[in-house]
Amino acid sequence: MSTVNRRLKSTSGFYRNYVKKFYEDAHRAKAEKRPVAWVASTFPVEALQAMDVVPVWPENYASVCAARQVSVELCERAEREGFSRDLCSYSRCVLGSMFGYEKELPESGLPRPDFLVTTTCACDTHLKWFQVASRLYRAPLFVLDVPYNVGGGDSAHLDPAHIEYYKSQLDELFAFLEKQTGTRLDLGRLSETLAVSNWTSKLWMEIQDLRKTVPSPMDARDAFSAVFFMLCMPGSQVAVDFYTQLRDELRERARDRIGVVEDERFRLVWDNLPLWFNLKVFEWLNSLGVVVVAEVFSHTWAGSLDASKPFESLARKYLSNMANSTIQRRIDIIVGLVKDFHVNGVILPTNWGCRMMSIGETIVRDAVYKKLGVQSLVLEVDSSDWRVAGDAQIRERLATFLETLKS
Amino acid sequence: MEVLQPFRNSLSNRHEIAKEWKSRNRPVVGWTCTYTPEEVIYAVDALPVMVWGTLGDTKLADAYMPSNSCSFARSCFNAALRGDYDYLDGFVESNSCDNRGKTYDMWVNYSKIPNIYFINTPHTNTEKAHRFFYEEVVRFKEWLERTFKKEISDDLLKGAMRVYNENRALLKRIYELKMKKPPLILGSEFLEIALSSLVMPKLEHNQLLSRFLAEVENRSDLPREGVRLLVAGSVMDNTELVRLIESVGGSVVADDWCTGSRYFWNLVDEDSDPLKAIAKRCLDKVPSSFMYGREERFRHAAELAKRFDVDAAIMFVIKYCDTHMFDAPLLRDELKAMGLPVLYLEWEHSMSGFAGLKTRIEAFIEMVGGVK
Repeated sequence: MSTVNRRLKSTSGFYRNYVKKFYEDAHRAKAEKRPVAWVASTFPVEALQAMDVVPVWPENYASVCAARQVSVELCERAEREGFSRDLCSYSRCVLGSMFGYEKELPESGLPRPDFLVTTTCACDTHLKWFQVASRLYRAPLFVLDVPYNVGGGDSAHLDPAHIEYYKSQLDELFAFLEKQTGTRLDLGRLSETLAVSNWTSKLWMEIQDLRKTVPSPMDARDAFSAVFFMLCMPGSQVAVDFYTQLRDELRERARDRIGVVEDERFRLVWDNLPLWFNLKVFEWLNSLGVVVVAEVFSHTWAGSLDASKPFESLARKYLSNMANSTIQRRIDIIVGLVKDFHVNGVILPTNWGCRMMSIGETIVRDAVYKKLGVQSLVLEVDSSDWRVAGDAQIRERLATFLETLKS
Repeated sequence: MEVLQPFRNSLSNRHEIAKEWKSRNRPVVGWTCTYTPEEVIYAVDALPVMVWGTLGDTKLADAYMPSNSCSFARSCFNAALRGDYDYLDGFVESNSCDNRGKTYDMWVNYSKIPNIYFINTPHTNTEKAHRFFYEEVVRFKEWLERTFKKEISDDLLKGAMRVYNENRALLKRIYELKMKKPPLILGSEFLEIALSSLVMPKLEHNQLLSRFLAEVENRSDLPREGVRLLVAGSVMDNTELVRLIESVGGSVVADDWCTGSRYFWNLVDEDSDPLKAIAKRCLDKVPSSFMYGREERFRHAAELAKRFDVDAAIMFVIKYCDTHMFDAPLLRDELKAMGLPVLYLEWEHSMSGFAGLKTRIEAFIEMVGGVK
């Protein structure tokens, strides 16, 4: 057994202080008749924040339900309505909560949307799921159609035609938002939101950089909580304040060489989603002297925004999101993380209801090994549906993998 | 019927047909999605062929693709790994669905096929999407010109549009023969005809279609009328499943498959700028489930159900097709609201996948036939 240090001060009570509050605020906004929108990840949420729309994330809500151990019941509820068990568990979980659940829903459920906004940037599911929800709630849906970044370029190396198409749809988005909210877009306000979002991204990447320290001052359990702001409210002051505090705490820890565990045996990279229903698995890894020091997920959401060119920089930020690109992009990110974070092994969890996170993991495994001689484990799981693989099965596979790393 | 034989042969000899075409120094280009602007491939004097899988196992592909990936995409990739498509001079993939977009990585990384091209396909048909897709089609044309060193003039495109429209119109006429009672042709016969259009030279196919139409009215071996069915779903690249339905008393008279009615339902506007018209048809045709306008597909299915006077519907969803799985409950409800009994089936694209379906299809047809 390894010596596990106390958890971080900044992230203690994170759920209560930020996530729970987020849902309380959203319900209050709904009661006060302020516009509430459902948003899919990889949607340019800064646009909503600048228009005083209250965004809520069905995906985040599903992860809350998984952590609270009710996701499977909710999935089953959606399955009874005819939604296949092979669909994205996030979507099944949220649809299940919409169809009516006999018990009390976590955080009183998602507030009913006045409208929904989605994008084809990350997956088909975002389009199809929101289409179903929009119909069930008879609420308007805006779709931002995003070309696939097949060239794999970063935000500075994108196809100009893709940027043009994206920007032209932002015009339509603001027209839609103006109609829904009855207020005009204030460009100054948009620039301010972008500046805050930019700052949030910068802080988040500083936090990630500090995790390169050996021993690492922060592991995946905390990162998967703290990443909440990157996804859900990057353009808000509370994100900046929280990340500043977290960064400062990590700086101290890094300076004093206080790691998550004192004697790190293995440092791992984690791809895709965490097991929301089983975040304890990271603590179990810690007890074995294993720390997940970098997640691909944590390296997906940051992006620099030029407040003087709001439309173009939003287009560049989201078009270049890794979820919208070929497997080579993922390989490049993981190879970089393995090198920079002094990593011994890579966990590649698939996600049963997600093609985007499942197809291609073998290519990643082979490429990382060929390039760096570092082993990966393709772990067949689902982030929120533990019927695919339960805790015991997951620990057994991880333990076997750790054995191979030893030799 | 003897006049059906050439269609049937083209399905079993599809690779030989392609190789024969190639032996005369003309390229063969594979594609996987019916949103591919095929006319442009035809215009460069290449043979466009749809890539299919087989109904055997997918052991080779399973080493690379997980069990929760589209079993059709896996089967196609398996055929590629086995070398079935080694003759291809080019291959066109698209982001029209997640499975397809991700399988592109597989082909790029593991297949030996040269000249792999990716077309970005919008998931909506707004004016802006049209503008974007037109540019994509222009780029595709330029890529074909560069790759096969041949200029594609407007005249060549117009010629291609004529040939393709003739093919679509003929297929539709034959399709409508199933409106008759009893239907003049079997569902499996029609599927052989439709599928052969995806793998053989279109000019030759048009001749065969005309010959078939001339002779079919006098056929002596009229099919037996069974329970009249609409089948709904995504792609159908083989006739086994329809044969299975026929073997237990069903008559597949209408379909909304992308390789069935949705392939030929809409014509390209021959009076417009060729590339614009080709691009426009792609986005405006009866949509596939990855497109935003799903109600239009449901409408298409419902209209077919009425016009072809079906008794029931069977929905086939290939595992693991997200877009169809999301559409399924609503389509099921809409068909039921028309008073149709509906059977919903998910199937693995393989022979063993079929075996599991037979009992359920048989029971369903008996149930519908009983009340008929």
